[in-house]
Amino acid sequence: MKEINELILPDDLLYSTDHEWLGSEGDNSRIGISDYAQDQLGAIVYVELPEVGDHLEKGEEFGIVESTKAVAELYMPVSGEIVSVNHDLEDAPELVNQGTYGDGWIIEIELDDPGQLEVLMSKDEYTNMLKGM
Amino acid sequence: MQNKTKTTPLYDWHKQNHANMFNFSNYEMPLWYPSGAKLEHLAVLTNAGLFDTSHMAVLMITGTDAFSLLQTCYTRDLRGCIGKNKTPLEPGKCIYGAFLTEQGQVIDDALVYQLSADTYMTVINSGMGDKMCRHLREHIGTGDALINDFTDKIGKIDIQGPMTAKILLKILADPQNILSDMGYFTFKGHFDETSECGRTVQIVDGPRILLSRTGYTGEFGFEIFVSANDLVNIWEKLLAAGRDLGLIPCGLAARDSLRAGAVLPLSNKDIGLWPFINNPWTCALPYDDKGTGFTKTFVGSSALSNIKEPEYTYPFVGFDLRKVSSCKNPAVLDSKKNEIGMVLTCVSDMSIGRDGDRIFSISSPDRPKDFRPKGLCCGFVKVKKQLDFGQIVELKDTRRKIKVMITEQIRPDRTSWSPISERM
Repeated sequence: MKEINELILPDDLLYSTDHEWLGSEGDNSRIGISDYAQDQLGAIVYVELPEVGDHLEKGEEFGIVESTKAVAELYMPVSGEIVSVNHDLEDAPELVNQGTYGDGWIIEIELDDPGQLEVLMSKDEYTNMLKGM
Repeated sequence: MQNKTKTTPLYDWHKQNHANMFNFSNYEMPLWYPSGAKLEHLAVLTNAGLFDTSHMAVLMITGTDAFSLLQTCYTRDLRGCIGKNKTPLEPGKCIYGAFLTEQGQVIDDALVYQLSADTYMTVINSGMGDKMCRHLREHIGTGDALINDFTDKIGKIDIQGPMTAKILLKILADPQNILSDMGYFTFKGHFDETSECGRTVQIVDGPRILLSRTGYTGEFGFEIFVSANDLVNIWEKLLAAGRDLGLIPCGLAARDSLRAGAVLPLSNKDIGLWPFINNPWTCALPYDDKGTGFTKTFVGSSALSNIKEPEYTYPFVGFDLRKVSSCKNPAVLDSKKNEIGMVLTCVSDMSIGRDGDRIFSISSPDRPKDFRPKGLCCGFVKVKKQLDFGQIVELKDTRRKIKVMITEQIRPDRTSWSPISERM
């Protein structure tokens, strides 16, 4: 297990209490799971993705990641419409382990309200939350 | 009061090698290493995996009444438990069984090794040493039997997979003589250098070991018992000897998915405080030739013979790798959507997949060309009514339902029984 100071947590992303990251992708936002989450889950063997066009509220489940032992739900850090999903994960779920901020992204959404981003955490705030766990 | 968390002598090695550690039965143990649980599971089918299993408890039972104590408390009849002809347990052989309460419920499952006529070793699950010592001592009466807990004095390494004999050939003294006649559930040597049988199995330029052709993965392999002081040294020797044969360290996550696919129970999960009967592990009970009665009475036998409301434990296998979440109390539904029971274990065996009606593993000799399985979910259910092999049931947690098939076997073409001559 990685120590907190070994975790890769890019400065330009926002983080949720459920260990998702959110970053800008043009006018939209990309979402994946943090390095902490992928490290805790271990080898990811399956990712269940939502349908493009689905509209999900903040806190609603948008997918699942599974390791050989565990099933973990993914929750929307903000409300929005799914505009793209990472179909590469259907055949290569290990991309989440190999590069969760790159090829291991999970969904792309169009935000309902950019104001919701204010409840997400910066790298420093997320790091402090992890230290308190 | 919570006991202080324990570690094995390999704890520093695990940390230095970036294992993801977790607390298992009050031991800090590796769950997986950086290669990950999936690759570790696959390595045991294709090459070899090395497991630190020193958390498991080991008791020595000695004395002229050790045999009768085990006859009273253990579910196997030591007078007739080896092979099809049911010959008696003898020195150099070990068997799988369980220790039960008077109610027929499982205290723990256990291997029992006969070292000599008056000396037996039993290997039980981590944290069970004290409880099992108390249980056995309660049944000694005036008999001559001593129970000693060796858990902290010895370490245990499981080396599992098709390459393990080749790896042992490189580090054992006189390896051909040691290995060539070792059948499944036999052992040689001793970790105690002063023991008579301690002279038989030795690491080259290293200590003596107890080498057992057993393991809990369903695949060909060995368990190695050593003095705790020698554990790190032997672990590193094995890894060095096995590097070019694909040996990698494996954590307990891979051990869990391997044992589930091999239809082996995890104590306190698949067997536990309910009657040890109507499950896939009836070979651990001393049934007579008719299969209706027992060949001996033992602690729990009367309760097992008088079950009023039977429950049944079955293995299942899915149609893809998706699982239900064990922390959401998943239920089992029959074809009429009636809730008939609970899910005990649900994991993904990543080495198997379906091709038409058949399941193959990555080491099935007749697997389809370019077979690359995506894994299947599998495990055990406990239900209130009898089911048939091949029957479909649904597993349901709070968010998903998955169809699975009740089955007798899960991962096909396992190698645990394969002759050692094919592996050297």
